[in-house]
Amino acid sequence: MELAASRGGLWILRVFFVLLVAFLYVPLLVLVMFSFNSGDVTFPLEGFTVSWYQRAAQNPALLSALQRSAIVASITSLLAVALGVLASYALVRRVFRGKAAFSALVFSPLVIPYLVFGISLLVLFKALDKVLVSLTGAYLDVGLHAVVVGHVVVALPYTILTILPLLERLSVTLEEAAHDLGASPWNTFWRVTFPLLMPALVSAFLIAFTLSFDEYAIASFLAGTQVTWPVFLFAQLRVPSQLPELVAVSSVILVVSIGLVVGAEFGRRRSEGRVGIDLS
Amino acid sequence: MARGASGTGRSTAGILSGPLLWLVLFFILPVCFIAAYSVGGLHLLPTDRGAVSLDAWRRFLFGGSVYVGLFWKSVKVSLIVSVAVVLLAYPVGYFLALCVRKRKYVLLLVIIAPFLTSYLLRVLAWKVILGSNGVINTALYQLHLRQPDHPVEWLIYSQFAVMLVLAYVWIPFVALPIFVSLNNLDGSLLEAAGDLGASRWRTFLRVTLPLSVPGLIAAFVFVFVPTIGEFVTPQLVGGTNGYLFGNAVNDRFTKALDWQSGSVFALFLLIVVAVLMAVFGRRVQMRSVQT
Repeated sequence: MELAASRGGLWILRVFFVLLVAFLYVPLLVLVMFSFNSGDVTFPLEGFTVSWYQRAAQNPALLSALQRSAIVASITSLLAVALGVLASYALVRRVFRGKAAFSALVFSPLVIPYLVFGISLLVLFKALDKVLVSLTGAYLDVGLHAVVVGHVVVALPYTILTILPLLERLSVTLEEAAHDLGASPWNTFWRVTFPLLMPALVSAFLIAFTLSFDEYAIASFLAGTQVTWPVFLFAQLRVPSQLPELVAVSSVILVVSIGLVVGAEFGRRRSEGRVGIDLS
Repeated sequence: MARGASGTGRSTAGILSGPLLWLVLFFILPVCFIAAYSVGGLHLLPTDRGAVSLDAWRRFLFGGSVYVGLFWKSVKVSLIVSVAVVLLAYPVGYFLALCVRKRKYVLLLVIIAPFLTSYLLRVLAWKVILGSNGVINTALYQLHLRQPDHPVEWLIYSQFAVMLVLAYVWIPFVALPIFVSLNNLDGSLLEAAGDLGASRWRTFLRVTLPLSVPGLIAAFVFVFVPTIGEFVTPQLVGGTNGYLFGNAVNDRFTKALDWQSGSVFALFLLIVVAVLMAVFGRRVQMRSVQT
């Protein structure tokens, strides 16, 4: 007997699944469709064109917003992965007082409303500026550095969640063997642990990158005049004539980001499987 | 092991210092700053004045402020969205975890993938679908179900639009914890229930459902928390009816330049979330968000 569902029940679940997939994907497909439409973003459709893609590729404000987001996302993910490795290593390999509190702290950015966090950092940077001005006359202001600072905080729990499971499965005996053979802790990490962790690190990097590249709420408070791509996109959404170009760029990003993350996920699963077999 | 205890202790402190320093400086400290701001302990704008007092808090909580009503409206919207999302995602998680044998992770990825695409883009897609010249209104017109100059207005710029879009945005994320909790279910428990004569419904209600409660709570919390502070979706598809508490917080900082009230609202939101996590937190496995 099929335990989870009767034959009829199974059919209902199957149909429901298909409907939900349609619900999730049809809006995205509609959007991609409009990026090839020669008219504006309303029905009826006119003719097929790739001119929106060409126009987007020649829009300097749009391109520099994309470039800023790429810079912010790269630095954010490098920092978030580095801090994530340290935090995961401490959580898995070390015993220390306050471990539960530390764990709660690193995961709490998962549940802070980004609105509140963005505002808090804005206040922090403004307060810092006030101190700087009174001491030196110069000030830092908000900008891409502030966005990076915020994005690292919210990306950190995701990198830890990606690194932690693999680190838990890596046998500690390899590190002990390296240590017994005279490797320094630094050498042990770079020559043994780091290469074995590589698949999780790549996947953590990509997750942090996508999160940062797409993040609007925090960036809207911290970007200042250096608008990142989502902030630019949001501001331009009110200009109907710009819409098709934005949709075109978004369609490219959509395809690239789905491709990257799906690829990374398959890579991670495959290599994790391999590590598991090697060490057992 | 040759490694001395004190040496390990020192290196543990070294390992911890990086993440700890970052989070204390850029996560805990900023929250302390808005707390200080909310009681007038910090003045950053030229318009900020007055000594340290709880006046701003008193005005908000007990002064018959419209923002309290707005907060409850946001709670209602978030509750409806979270419950709807969990109800929609549960059958999918159940189907993938317990009914599908081959390629279940591929199908799971199909559900999750939209979450990895741009948030603004997904909201924009609905603007295109629900708008006056959008997909639905065009279809209704083509089918002669509406008059040429009378598009169905409530589709967009309404509370309904906000809830629909929020549900759309969060379903992929929520399918994950539900799937994980059902996938980790010991299959022999279902067999045992069947062998003891329980019907499928009874097995579901007495075994499967109770065991998936942690996943359900995690799913609920992971939708409720971000939607209670939501301000982007209402701005794009909410109109005046869809204006939520998050928009009020945002406006205090970006339009009204009343950072003290804004800090009160923001901190209030954070306290609500913290209380929620204190109540449910122990039952929420943070790990359930990972694939």
